[in-house]
Amino acid sequence: MSLSRSSAVPRSALVTMAASRRSVLRGLALSGLAVGGANLLAACGGDDSGPSSGSGATVKFGMNEVEGAGPAYDRLKAMADAYAKDTGTDVKINSVEHNTFQESINTYLQGSPDDVFTWFAGFRMAQFAENGLITDLSDVWPIDGMSDSFKEASTAPDGKQYFVPKDYYPWAVFYRKSVFDENGWAPPETKDDFMSLMDEMQGKGVTPFAFGDKDGWPAMGTFDILNMRLNGYDFHMSLMAGEEKWDGDEVKLVFDTWRTLLPYHQADPLGRTWQEAATAMGKGECGMYLLGTFVADAVADVADDLDFFTFPELDASIGADALDAPIDGFCVAAGGQNQEAAKAMIKWLGSAEAADIANDNADVPFIAANSGASTSTYNALQKKSAEVVGAAANIAQFMDRDTNADFANTVMIPSIQDFLKNPDDIDGVTASIQEQANSIFG
Amino acid sequence: MSTETLPADTGPTPSGTGGSRTPPKRVEGGVMSKPRGIVVTVIVALLALLWLFPLLWALINSFREYDYTQANGYLSFGGWTTSNYEEAWTRGNFGLHLKNSLMVTIPAVLLTLWLSSMVGFVLARFSYRFNLIMLGVFLAANLLPPQALLIPVFRMFREIPLPLFMSDSGSMLNSFWALILVNTAFQMGFCTFVLSNYMKTLPHEIYESAELDGASVWRQYWQLTMPLVRPALAALATLQFTWIYNEFFWATVLIQQGDKLPITSALNNLRGQFFTDTNLVAAGSIIVALPVLIVFFLLQKQFVSGLTLGSTKG
Repeated sequence: MSLSRSSAVPRSALVTMAASRRSVLRGLALSGLAVGGANLLAACGGDDSGPSSGSGATVKFGMNEVEGAGPAYDRLKAMADAYAKDTGTDVKINSVEHNTFQESINTYLQGSPDDVFTWFAGFRMAQFAENGLITDLSDVWPIDGMSDSFKEASTAPDGKQYFVPKDYYPWAVFYRKSVFDENGWAPPETKDDFMSLMDEMQGKGVTPFAFGDKDGWPAMGTFDILNMRLNGYDFHMSLMAGEEKWDGDEVKLVFDTWRTLLPYHQADPLGRTWQEAATAMGKGECGMYLLGTFVADAVADVADDLDFFTFPELDASIGADALDAPIDGFCVAAGGQNQEAAKAMIKWLGSAEAADIANDNADVPFIAANSGASTSTYNALQKKSAEVVGAAANIAQFMDRDTNADFANTVMIPSIQDFLKNPDDIDGVTASIQEQANSIFG
Repeated sequence: MSTETLPADTGPTPSGTGGSRTPPKRVEGGVMSKPRGIVVTVIVALLALLWLFPLLWALINSFREYDYTQANGYLSFGGWTTSNYEEAWTRGNFGLHLKNSLMVTIPAVLLTLWLSSMVGFVLARFSYRFNLIMLGVFLAANLLPPQALLIPVFRMFREIPLPLFMSDSGSMLNSFWALILVNTAFQMGFCTFVLSNYMKTLPHEIYESAELDGASVWRQYWQLTMPLVRPALAALATLQFTWIYNEFFWATVLIQQGDKLPITSALNNLRGQFFTDTNLVAAGSIIVALPVLIVFFLLQKQFVSGLTLGSTKG
């Protein structure tokens, strides 16, 4: 959508020219409604909206799940209902389908947004903070039970918090315990273990890795983890921010390693959805699958048999202490009518109490960001996820959340697919990515 | 504009009737001699099948269980169920969204036809100097892609205040008024063009006698022209209903409140964040396509006659 052009300005550029006239003007233009809305509120003293917070106040709550979408909706609804009941606040729910909500976020925030809305950490949050479309929440922080790494994930480049985390899920290598036990395989720790495990699987006629990239985004997870294992978390994040070269030796090394690993993956991934790939692992045709924990949804009948390990280290000097664990949570829209009540609600939404209420009212719990939340409803995978993420030194958000949305969707998806079609033309792919990155990141 | 949205509706019918009806009438001699007639029938049948295949495929799979097709592939046979339809109806909340769609589509179609018939009447009946330019402007607007107007329209609507009883957001955004107006504006160019051309085919003498009998301009429009252009209006109403009902772009841009989205966007409710049950989506698509099919079959006669009547003018 062409409105997102404004977000095509790289974070780095915005930071360096934060105080320049152009960005001030752009900020003004974008937050025109916010300013207007604030004046209006000041003028009428909030007469028509009742008290600005607490009992009798009205908060509009935009959620990216619709009724019937499963536990994700049930959890959000339970949180909203409980808050309304406890505080006497009138919570008006606006529920929009997940993908629709995400695709129209630009018009949503610049139009007539709800006060509190569900959103994601990472660049996706930071770019709205830069443009003044979401409210500074640094007075809501610290939140009891939120660790420093979550606080960091909620912080925009200007050093202020704009986000309250709700839950997260890690990306890891999933496998079936029974299949591994039968063959006497164990999760690999080192690169040598890893390579010999894959060779052994192939020897037994099992494809080591299930792989599907029809939708374009699943293979980003592979790129992320290879880049973090080969070049480290810091390089990965600056690459995502457009501050490193895509045609440099580091990225070429990632693609080159990927090329050597491709024979261990299912062939022709572009014609396969992740569900089909997951089914192949569920049937035991493939040994492992690198995906998010949502993989369990596609193989529900063997979900109890699933286990996972973090991707093993590929370079001993870098180790294996970083992983992708996308965080979902909430923001307050700058264009919302009732900022104070919104902040009160978002602070509660980040609490352990809110997470417990959500998990008690849904078939499947989420992994709460708040460390004070009860883990009694978690299944084995989730308990392990919480441990693994807690132990990780660095957490990335996944490529399409860590970098500019235009870049991720219009450049990286086709580029990675080109690479998977023709893995030998690494120079061509990286050169083309860099060329397009130049025009997007400036 | 989405002229191609439902090719299977408009495609087979004219060619089907034309292909099968013509041969028996001219058994000997004509362009459609018997062997040629057979060839034409075969080709037309093949083309019709080609058009209908995706629709039929979706229809068949909408009656099958996802688990069954996932395990056995789509080329298998079995796993019959109607649960997809029940689930699609409740999960997509189609009752509410169908109502939203009708609340946008019906006023928009009526408004478009009314306004463009008035413009068409003036352009066809009077010879002002600006007539040609006017028609040109209406046609030119037809060529303008709506995407190019996205930002201006969005910003304009954001600034237009509406009283709270008309729109609970206080502006044109998130209100049905916005969708009705936008659709009317975008469809008027085409309707004006068709209607003014159609009105030009009405014999001028009728208007001379009407004039002699003392009919005012309004009466000439309302009581003389409108009844005579009924076939064209019916044809346009069918088309406009299809187009506006199927309209997706403006609805997703101007409406951000989940409970106000029209049914085309509600189809998205059947998608999951990571996981999409394609059989369920197929069932949902069939439900969404039904109103258009009903309108088309009800007005089919007028639609076809409207097409031919328009075409003789050239």
